Amino acid sequence: MLNEFRVNEKTIRLMVGFITDIGDMDGMVYYARPDLTLGSGFGTAISTQGGPKVQEELKKTGSAKITEVVVTGGGNLQAKYILHAIGPRFQEEDSEEKLRATTLNTLRKAEEHKLQKIVFPAMGSGFYGIPLEVSARVTLGAVREYLEKAVEPKEVVFCLRDSRELKVFQEHLQKMK
Amino acid sequence: MIPNARSHKAGKVVERMGKKLNRQLVGSLVGCVHCGMCTESCHYVLANPDDPTYAPAYKADQIRKIFKRNFDWTGKVFPWWVHAQDIRTDEDLEKLKDIVFGKCTNCRRCSLNCPMGVDFALLNRMARGLLVSVGVMPEGVAVVSKDQWEVGNQMGVLPQEYIETLEWLSDELEEEFKDPKARIPIDKMDAEIVYAINPREVKYDPRTISDAARIFYLAGENWTMPSEGWDMTNFGLFSGDDELGGAVALRVYDKVRELRGKTLVLSECGHGYRSTRCEGPNWSGKGVPFVIESSVLTMLRYIREGRIRVDKVKNKESYTFHDSCNNARSCGFFEEPRELLDLVVTDFREMYPNRAENYCCTGGGGAMSMSEYTPQRLKSAVIKADQLKATGAKAVVTSCHNCVDGLTDVIRHYKLGMKVTQLVNLTANAVIIPEKVSVPVFIPMPVEALPLQGFKILVVDDEPDILAFLSAVLEDQGATVIQAADGEQALALTIEEKPDLITLDLSMPGKNGGYVFEAIRNNPEIASTKVCIITGKPELRRLIYERPVAPPDGYLDKPVNEETLLTNIRMILEMKHPVGHA
Repeated sequence: MLNEFRVNEKTIRLMVGFITDIGDMDGMVYYARPDLTLGSGFGTAISTQGGPKVQEELKKTGSAKITEVVVTGGGNLQAKYILHAIGPRFQEEDSEEKLRATTLNTLRKAEEHKLQKIVFPAMGSGFYGIPLEVSARVTLGAVREYLEKAVEPKEVVFCLRDSRELKVFQEHLQKMK
Repeated sequence: MIPNARSHKAGKVVERMGKKLNRQLVGSLVGCVHCGMCTESCHYVLANPDDPTYAPAYKADQIRKIFKRNFDWTGKVFPWWVHAQDIRTDEDLEKLKDIVFGKCTNCRRCSLNCPMGVDFALLNRMARGLLVSVGVMPEGVAVVSKDQWEVGNQMGVLPQEYIETLEWLSDELEEEFKDPKARIPIDKMDAEIVYAINPREVKYDPRTISDAARIFYLAGENWTMPSEGWDMTNFGLFSGDDELGGAVALRVYDKVRELRGKTLVLSECGHGYRSTRCEGPNWSGKGVPFVIESSVLTMLRYIREGRIRVDKVKNKESYTFHDSCNNARSCGFFEEPRELLDLVVTDFREMYPNRAENYCCTGGGGAMSMSEYTPQRLKSAVIKADQLKATGAKAVVTSCHNCVDGLTDVIRHYKLGMKVTQLVNLTANAVIIPEKVSVPVFIPMPVEALPLQGFKILVVDDEPDILAFLSAVLEDQGATVIQAADGEQALALTIEEKPDLITLDLSMPGKNGGYVFEAIRNNPEIASTKVCIITGKPELRRLIYERPVAPPDGYLDKPVNEETLLTNIRMILEMKHPVGHA
């Protein structure tokens, strides 16, 4: 199955791993809450591995609306920046459109900060209930659309948690050929 | 709102309910004749006889009326006659949440005793899943679910933390047996046994892992633990989220397949056993091409086959056995633990009622993670407390980690003074070390090699007895101990003395432990100080972990014994070698 896709000299890549452990990334995307509390899940990893600095930076912003993206430093994480993307959750209205907007806003922020390589999780799938198929189709589509016109980022990685997620993303990457 | 219109979330709940309905659910939705048999089965009702809202039939009716109004023709034609009622507002959803999460542990005792075959726990779990799908759930359920979805286990144990724990447990084992083969193999291919555990063991009770490792080693087993997919628990069973249930089960199964393991052995966890062995293949939609068994069965087999020998005289206490609801009622797994107990203890006293009729530990169904319902949970636990007390035993054994926590809470609340232990601990204690394995006799450690030597530890507690006990235990192991009896003193000493670790009580007069903890984490000068919370109020756990700061490095419930304290302190200090520190 396809794990890599080229768009105008830029790359979309799929992998299985743990997102905060991926080295060599300029930015890491975190599917954040509107109150910008890191909370559990990958938030636990950011708090534990990144240290208290990340939450301190978020405190200064306070809160954000769905589809907005807040950028902080990575603290002690390997990624230099964290892009806190506030995506739709729990079957809320217009979830697909909001997920697409969140993904595009994330990429815009990455370009503003001149990030060359960024890593996404399976946006909104799992705990927040966006069906995996929708997450893969919408985010891969938005990333491709953005990379066709943008200068940066040069590489967008999707770090997936298991073979179940990878399989669905591979199927959608294949369809983009 | 327009009359009869539903909120967006209520609409989604009804829409999804329609997709969930199957023959089994509909049977339970239409089968109730309100005979009242279920009320006599439920520990919530028995402990609250004047409150009819705890009756399983009443609770089921709150789900049933939505079904009748939307999916049953009688409820559509004459709703007033069949008590059909729609769910309309977000407030209605919140009320339903407090019933399905706060007034039932899904123990299935009422299901077993219903003459009509109504499985209320099945309805309750469906309702939980519907609410979770629209984000309506207790905060604790959200925290745990998100950890399991994203980190891969219920307690947010990070990959590195898991591997490091196995490494230092291996170092200890190797030292104990003076044998380089006495280690925990990780990701070994073609092993006979792949051993999956509960993340609670890594976080709070690593001795259960080393006890199991000791038994596998002495049995000469070809075994391994997986680096991924090692959490055999499954919060999907509690939250009603079948997607989570399937994803978690698949992670475990995929790893066993990848390693070409022959048998998946599950450590002693009731809901993990039910989820991984019984429900997982249904949720994931995939068959499992290997054997799955409880470690209780594995240990029993080793003894019967003579692969390990045990001496029951080593466990001389009086013990009773608590059947986990998921093991006994849902999986029929109750004779094997008793057979094993008979081989490893001298004084076993049966608890009544028992086996499939046993009462819930009261911490089941994820109740331990829902601190907002703790008072009503503990009130209903009087039934369990009476049952435990009547045995006259000094210790209660259970094959479930959730029950360990639930029972510990009941015993503390009702001051029963009993110990809680598991079969793996008793078997490891009873095992006879064969002569071919050289086991060191006691070798006095030189003073300079004491395990905590060189570490400065600040002990914070307002109770003088506890302060003295913790200090003495840590000093005996070589630590330099400083003490604080209140929050203000603790903060000042942390800045002044820069300790390597702080043991921190939460309930203190003046500045409490929560305030001190957040102040430490928010002060860049001392933010990285390692903190181990030691509290007699486990319900405060959520408040600590929800603070917008990095979480504590450890969390222990009082009363804490010497071994647990030292194990956890050493783990937090990341000591890989049992003697001295790097």
